[in-house]
Amino acid sequence: MQRRKFLGLGFGVAALSLAPISAVAKNYRKELPNAWKIKNKEAENDLTGTNEAIKAVFGNDKTEDGQIKLKAPDIAENGAVVPVSFKLEKASKVALFQSANPEALVAVWDIPEAGIPDYGVRIKMAKTGTITVVAEVDGKLYRASKVVKVTAGGCGG
Amino acid sequence: MRIKAKAKDGVVSVKAGLKHEMLSYDQAKKKGKEANFIVYIEAKVDGKPVYEASTSQFLSKNPFIKFKFKGEAGKELELSWIDLKGNTKSKKAKIK
Repeated sequence: MQRRKFLGLGFGVAALSLAPISAVAKNYRKELPNAWKIKNKEAENDLTGTNEAIKAVFGNDKTEDGQIKLKAPDIAENGAVVPVSFKLEKASKVALFQSANPEALVAVWDIPEAGIPDYGVRIKMAKTGTITVVAEVDGKLYRASKVVKVTAGGCGG
Repeated sequence: MRIKAKAKDGVVSVKAGLKHEMLSYDQAKKKGKEANFIVYIEAKVDGKPVYEASTSQFLSKNPFIKFKFKGEAGKELELSWIDLKGNTKSKKAKIK
């Protein structure tokens, strides 16, 4: 517990010191060029790629359950258009991953001061896989995931 | 680009449809084209960011996004994106 408290404090300080920068646009394509290249393993629900990508985006992959309400279909008839949405009370940063495509990372959101993390997006999934949303809330990482069964692939063109 | 922004009780809900082929590396290879997709989407009100997304090849073709932020009707929302090749587009819409 002591250690956790200490870590939490560290994150808080880091977040504070970053605050002036986050007022300016943060493009994670430029900030984390390598995070987008992390490959998924071939096996359908192997989350190795997802976990590596979480580490690349958030610095570690120690996540807890809770906070995030994730919505995605159980079965997607069209893998080219899979609606995914998530909702949180608050968060500073949220990222979306999946295990179905060649690479794991789909998107990273920085939540601005006026932002309310109640977001939706449509993604492509080449096959059945696990969708994972990770959010940073007060220096802690939360995770929610869901398996989406894809009956027709989305990356075939 | 289509934008709908509606305010209710201090919360603005936005639905936006962007026009982009979003060609992933795999798709581009099959078509004999170069991969290109939107990599960054930003929305601003009064010059301040209200939404910021760094995106990948795995958003669907003609990406559709939904988001919320604290704001009021009557102001102008400016949504813009940039793709891998550096093309940009931006559009303004009044918050209703």
